Amino acid sequence: MGDERFTIESRQFVLRHRIPATKTERYWKGLEEGKIYATVCRNCGAAFSPPQTDCSSCYTSDMEWVEIEGDGVVEALTQIHSIPQGFEFKGEPYTIAVARFGAFRVMGWFEGDETLSVGEKVRAITGRDETGVWKVYFERVGD
Amino acid sequence: MSAGRRVGIVGVGCSKFGIRDDVTLQELAFEAVSEALSDASLTKDDIEMSVVGIAGTRSYELMPAVPINEYCGFAGRGPVRVEAACATGSAAVYTAYSSIASGMVDVAIAVGVEKMSEVDTPTSLAVGGRSGSYLWEFHQYGTTFPGYYAMHASAHMAEYGTTEEQMALVAVKNHRNAVHNKKAMFRKEISLEKALGLRYVAYPLRLFDCSAITDGSSAAILASEEKIRELGIDNAVWIEGVGFSSDTANMTRRESYTTLKATVKAGEMAYRMAGIDEPVKQLDVAAVHDCFTIAEIMAYEDLRFCRKGEGGKFVESGDSDFGGKLPVNTFGGLKAKGHPLGATGVAMFYEIVKQLRGEAGRLQADLKNHRGLTHNIGGTGHFGWVFVLGV
Repeated sequence: MGDERFTIESRQFVLRHRIPATKTERYWKGLEEGKIYATVCRNCGAAFSPPQTDCSSCYTSDMEWVEIEGDGVVEALTQIHSIPQGFEFKGEPYTIAVARFGAFRVMGWFEGDETLSVGEKVRAITGRDETGVWKVYFERVGD
Repeated sequence: MSAGRRVGIVGVGCSKFGIRDDVTLQELAFEAVSEALSDASLTKDDIEMSVVGIAGTRSYELMPAVPINEYCGFAGRGPVRVEAACATGSAAVYTAYSSIASGMVDVAIAVGVEKMSEVDTPTSLAVGGRSGSYLWEFHQYGTTFPGYYAMHASAHMAEYGTTEEQMALVAVKNHRNAVHNKKAMFRKEISLEKALGLRYVAYPLRLFDCSAITDGSSAAILASEEKIRELGIDNAVWIEGVGFSSDTANMTRRESYTTLKATVKAGEMAYRMAGIDEPVKQLDVAAVHDCFTIAEIMAYEDLRFCRKGEGGKFVESGDSDFGGKLPVNTFGGLKAKGHPLGATGVAMFYEIVKQLRGEAGRLQADLKNHRGLTHNIGGTGHFGWVFVLGV
């Protein structure tokens, strides 16, 4: 459009939500212990990563907490260059990947020097970012 | 499944897409509604129900349907507000369509509108990134909308050998088309060389692989067959096939990153309803959801324009261009026309209706079957809508 526009600045409006995490507390606490949990339905065997305590398949709520372990395979990845509000603290592009560990897929950050590729083997560890949020980090198997 | 009464599109309108900091949401919606009413030779009083499609959050009005409805003179009729992320416009058309097909009303309008530029780019990126499964994705990993599609691109490249060049060719084609579209945001050609030299937004997607933050509005007026006859309208475009589907919110629960299951399912449903077995032979033109270039490549495959894995070759060989197997995104696509979320789905109707009426000017595709398709995705296949239109 190009010309000088007459605009009015809105009043500031801050949104911050309190997120209930009682039912998935084990997952969040697990990250602090270096463990990555998923759930499996005891009734029908449906696997859930991220974990949930109600089964969307058979509508029962009898879940087993299972630890995700071993090597995973990267199935998809991206490196975020255009940074969203809330992640300015990184100050640089960050890599997000999804890796498969048997029946479960996990999302995580990869902070290696080189670029990661689809098909590579990774290990999942946990850690805390600069803002104190715990999450999954991937490491190349062999690094 | 019974489709109820036959429904036709009798009027379409679309604002100029771009950074529209000259107008509010209401004023922007009015532009498209006003054009649709005059296109249909109807007045606002002929509209029995209004449906307002807007994804929202990026604009200052948090409950925008009623302010928009009031400004367009529809107070007392509707509004039904719908949201389906980037497929909001299709959900709006569907709501109007089903209200007529069911016999509830005879004439309804679907208004799609979005103002994305009232917040800054990092905020807009956060809104998109928070639209997957917030606690498990954005909260921990800072996902963005380009990032979600980039993950699909990385998988498609690894599995099928799709290249950055093939993806860029989608943008080159769509920009070339947009030059002749007065409503488009970017009316200039881009070179393959330039596209491949730009910075990454989310690897492997570069700046020109991504649709832009856009403001815009569009409107479609739908009516029952009886009403169309009663009004003596002779240029109605009929809705012949409708398909809808969805997929998981969580990326970790997807079966595959090289396909959008929501497209496949919605496509099958719409094809079945419209009696389409060979889309490339039975359609004349298609508007597909190219919010990112990889999305158009996946759409070719998922809508069966070509075999799985051959989407890159489909654009490379000119199959999706004028004179090719099936011209796709003749209007410039979301990439070059712009992608104002709530407006996009309805704007696809605007473009395909113009095509099927033979009113697309320099962008006119050859009409042999007199049928066209709209394919509108919300999120990264979180919602899928496909319509087959015909005259």
